[in-house]
Amino acid sequence: MEKTMSETRQKTFTCQLCGLSSPFTYVGQKPPNTRAIVLLEECFVTQDPFSPDKEKFLVLGSTCSVCSMCVCVGSDCSLFYTKRFCMQCVSKHLDQFPRQIQAELAKKKQSSKAAVS
Amino acid sequence: MDSERGRDSRSWDWDSPQCRAQLDEIFFRRHDYIQAGSQEHREFWAFLDRFQRFKTKRDMSAAGAKEDRKDGRKTGAGALDLGLPEEYDARYRINVSVCTGDVEERLGKSEHKGRRQRASGPGSQEISDCRLALLHFLDFSQRQSFGKLAKLRREQKNLPIFQYRDRIVELVRKHPVVVVAGDTGCGKSTQVPQYLLSAGFNHIGCTQPRRIACISLAKRVSFESLNLYGSKVGYQIRFETTRTPATKLLFLTEGLLLRQIQQDRTLAQYQVLIVDEVHERHLHCDFLLGVLRSLLAEQPDLRLILMSATINIKLFSDYFNGAPVLQVPGRLFPIQVIYQPIPAEEQPSRSEKLDPRPYLRILQGIDQRYPPEERGDLLIFLSGVAEISTIQEACQIYGTHTRRWIVFDISPPGVRKCIISTNIAETSVTIDGVRFVVDSGKVKEMSFDPKAKMQRLQEFWISRASSEQRKGRAGRTGPGVCYRLYAESDYDAFAPYPVPEIHRVALDSLILQMKSMCLGDPLSFVFIDPPPAASIQTAVTYLKQQGALDGRGELTSIGSLLAQLPVDVVIGKMLVLGSLFKLVDPVLTVAAALSVQSPFLRSAQHNPDCATARQPLNSNHGDPFTLLNTFNAWVEVKGERGGGSRKWCRRRGLEEQRLYEMVNLRRQFKELLRSHGLLESEHSAPPGSDRGQRREKLAERKKLHQLKRDHEQQESSRRKVLRMDEGQDGEFSSGSDTEGGGRGKKDQEGLGQNVDIQEVKFKLRHNVSELQEAASVSQDMSSRQQALLKLLLCRGLYPQLALPDEHNTTRKDSDQVFHTKNKQGVVIHPTSVFASDPEVLQVPEDDTREMGPDKRDSSRHQLLAFVTLLETNKPYLSNCVRVPALQALLLVANSVDSNADCTRLVVDGWLELELREAEDALKVLSTALNLRAEWERLLLAQLGGSTMGGAAVQGVSRKVMEKLSEGLVRFLLYTEVSYSLRRLTAFQTQNLYIGPLSQSEGSHTSAPDVDPLFPGVEAKPDPIKGGLRVTSFFNYNCLADSKDLYSECLRTFWTCPNCDLYMPLTPLERMQHEASCRPAGEQQQPEEEPGGKASSSSVSSLTRVYHCDVCDEDLSLTSTEILKHKRQHMYSVK
Ligand SMILES: [Zn+2]
Ligand SMILES: [Zn+2]
Repeated sequence: MEKTMSETRQKTFTCQLCGLSSPFTYVGQKPPNTRAIVLLEECFVTQDPFSPDKEKFLVLGSTCSVCSMCVCVGSDCSLFYTKRFCMQCVSKHLDQFPRQIQAELAKKKQSSKAAVS
Repeated sequence: MDSERGRDSRSWDWDSPQCRAQLDEIFFRRHDYIQAGSQEHREFWAFLDRFQRFKTKRDMSAAGAKEDRKDGRKTGAGALDLGLPEEYDARYRINVSVCTGDVEERLGKSEHKGRRQRASGPGSQEISDCRLALLHFLDFSQRQSFGKLAKLRREQKNLPIFQYRDRIVELVRKHPVVVVAGDTGCGKSTQVPQYLLSAGFNHIGCTQPRRIACISLAKRVSFESLNLYGSKVGYQIRFETTRTPATKLLFLTEGLLLRQIQQDRTLAQYQVLIVDEVHERHLHCDFLLGVLRSLLAEQPDLRLILMSATINIKLFSDYFNGAPVLQVPGRLFPIQVIYQPIPAEEQPSRSEKLDPRPYLRILQGIDQRYPPEERGDLLIFLSGVAEISTIQEACQIYGTHTRRWIVFDISPPGVRKCIISTNIAETSVTIDGVRFVVDSGKVKEMSFDPKAKMQRLQEFWISRASSEQRKGRAGRTGPGVCYRLYAESDYDAFAPYPVPEIHRVALDSLILQMKSMCLGDPLSFVFIDPPPAASIQTAVTYLKQQGALDGRGELTSIGSLLAQLPVDVVIGKMLVLGSLFKLVDPVLTVAAALSVQSPFLRSAQHNPDCATARQPLNSNHGDPFTLLNTFNAWVEVKGERGGGSRKWCRRRGLEEQRLYEMVNLRRQFKELLRSHGLLESEHSAPPGSDRGQRREKLAERKKLHQLKRDHEQQESSRRKVLRMDEGQDGEFSSGSDTEGGGRGKKDQEGLGQNVDIQEVKFKLRHNVSELQEAASVSQDMSSRQQALLKLLLCRGLYPQLALPDEHNTTRKDSDQVFHTKNKQGVVIHPTSVFASDPEVLQVPEDDTREMGPDKRDSSRHQLLAFVTLLETNKPYLSNCVRVPALQALLLVANSVDSNADCTRLVVDGWLELELREAEDALKVLSTALNLRAEWERLLLAQLGGSTMGGAAVQGVSRKVMEKLSEGLVRFLLYTEVSYSLRRLTAFQTQNLYIGPLSQSEGSHTSAPDVDPLFPGVEAKPDPIKGGLRVTSFFNYNCLADSKDLYSECLRTFWTCPNCDLYMPLTPLERMQHEASCRPAGEQQQPEEEPGGKASSSSVSSLTRVYHCDVCDEDLSLTSTEILKHKRQHMYSVK
């Protein structure tokens, strides 16, 4: 039983920013049954539970290309722009990102502030 | 680039199906991630339209903004350079790429090879446009799915139980038993199993009181754990299972777990057992807790978790040695309680319908007080189905009139939903959006009267605990209001908790199961809340009457078989009996039909069209025969018209769902009989064994499976519609009246547009032609088979017999009265065939002879065998079958007492039969005794064979069996003996028996002189009634009017029709002779049996070892020979 327990633990992906955790079935750039599709980063992947088709994959997250933190693909936690960046690194190096992204983030920040207050 | 040229050169139309098909050839081939024709493929093209529109719009608006591209981007000195591209492109935000050799090649080709290629296919621009759209589509789908996942995780986190996640796991690790208490909506049922799974526990079983909950929880948990466990989360219920060897978490019913424990007391297959909804206090659940409690000591590694609403938690904790309790505080908004007792003039009287006015006033009040924009639905708690339909009707009228309410359906904005339910919605059904609750304060519950052996469906006040649960339903999603249709003083007077089922129902099945699990004396078993001793005693007595327990209370062989059948004892007995004769098919159908709710819709009862359409299905032999006809006719329709059966049912006012349940149950019964060796296993090859037909069959099955899958997919995407009464379908003993309205309509609406999924499942599960064959067999039943089937039903149902009142002929049809042994003045339920056709139960006038007051001689007296005696506003008999009285009683009764010349018989101490002719009486009795002895012998052989040899060994040879059924039929149909039949008065039963003989008398008349009627059974003087106990059920000469047994005047000369015996014999001696003397031809028979297997028992049944004291010798003689031998000494001594 001990063995299966550690197995189960090993196979869980947890976002270090938001805490979202979920079991995964594959890590890498070429999930099974994806044919012509290739991922541009090493990802934690699971079967898409929301697709009726069992062969569809779902990317849960990957590691930040700057700080190597494990982050989910949720827009509050990370951003992909040729590489994966965690939100902490994005705000640290915001000036290097294109204007479109900067504007988008500013807008989001504002709306989330509005929602809180 | 060359895009302009491409566009100019030919007309590429993105909307044209041909053009799209050409791109499909490149991107969506058979082995690609997305395949042409799939759901995603369709979604892609829809996405492409939107994507292109969006792009055009953006290109136009962004045309001028290109210059200041680099403005915002400065790399501070010393900072890390992320190496991002100079120019912004949305494409860089996608972490997926599509690259196949083909696509690249195509792009290359079209660039280099020029026009010819392009003229017939998509140009490179189109290909790269399509590829870009595909990338965005993939990204979009990823975001969508991830969004759902994030939402799911957020919801899980927000459940009240989430904070206790680690604490629960820790408690379970440390303690053998843990109680988790929390109200509906706290998430215990879905989350606790997942916490355990992710903590590394394997082999988790979680019981549910309702089957439907097993299925929906398995689906939900499997979904929430992202199907990662796939087949590792499953369910197992009576007809279906998704369990595989890989299953780690199994949802199953309480009854099923009990059966598993019956097979394996160590529970080795489970590491953790969760018993959910223990507060509901169902019979099975209480019993399961008791069994688990006694097993836990032997299984130190097993973990047990009880999950409950926050009701009486201490009781459970105390029962398990103070097990730790983890209480999850509910998430409840404040609820305003308004007491609105029903005024006296609106109180329903006993027989009247519920007055809807108090309910309508509340609807009106809500409309006046709360603006329609404020959402909030209404949940009304009523006591039963009849009440629901009354109120539903009134609310519907009000709703259509005001356009503010919709009853049961999903409501459009601005319209409130009104949900009407029984107590089932207190704790078990999650209904979102309820803001108002109306509590009638009433519940209908089954109670059991052990004295009359009768069930009662009565309305009671609910308990304070139920009342609080009902109220709580108003405050799940926001502040709410609870209207109580009773006074606060009523509330204070309510019992604190509901009465557990174990205190309310018959315990027959429970006791039987306890016996088979070797749990010792049921009276000393430690129940969480022990049932009354009288109730246990009644059950034991009943099981003895039924032959399931012997005199010492131990299981008989038939009893241990019955304990393994998950059905009522009565039904189980029928199945076993049916397997002996060649009546398996009709008996299977009847047993299944009697185990589910009636398919005859009550609403159709007064519809003349339905009545006419039903007419050909009715049988005046009894309701089981009507059910049999109905089922067979339905199978016939299914075979011929398939999907047309739904319409067929509607025309006849039949609920088809019940028929599906029957066919499933029937199949399960068949498998049970087969697995117990009571039915030959099917050896025949599947029909249509030539290759073409088989292929066709296979293709059809494939198609059906596809239909089923499609349906399931649709189901999961369709919004779920409320179905309050799910789970009650045919559940046996869980007596909570989980009724509700509004079902059926939903099924039809939902399925109307596409496939009848029930039909698909039916075809997948059952072999229609085989069913049809079985149906036609029982349709063509001869009157002889019918008589035999009646006898089997009667034997199964015994002692549930009712006698028509002697004055019924002078009464109106609706006033016909019947009597059972314990209850006088019962009536036939209006749904029974006998309610509309009572004449068939009456003794024909021309056949009777008045023999003084209350005595009518006839050979045509009949009794009713019935399935249930249920008291609602009157005591009703339902599911009745009529049987010839004298014959049936002699063949099935447990106690038959006679006078000296057997002209007066008393059966079971309450029915008296007087036969006119002594000669006839003796003949009838003697025949019955022989038939019964043979029947018993064959039954035992059959049961013995089944327990030892398995299916291969058929305990009884066909010839012997056919001879017996021939004899029984002849006896049932052609016994023309005139007799009177009446119920004994209380006074008469007091002085019924002569009582035991005094010591001195006893010494000279006792046993040694009298030979046993049947070899191996000693006839002994009965210590209570007096007379001689000839067989276990027949007591000779014990009735008080008896003449002396040995007075010579009772000896009359008699010639045996089988042998040459001619001598003066007493009635008893004559019966003894007949019991063993067979026609000359028959005596030879055993030796002719192939293999000589059966012969030994048959021969020994005729002769036995007799020790003659006079000769002082052991002689092997038949009973007749013994008689002759003894007579020889008698004369010589004198
Ligand atoms: Zn995250
Ligand atoms: Zn980072």
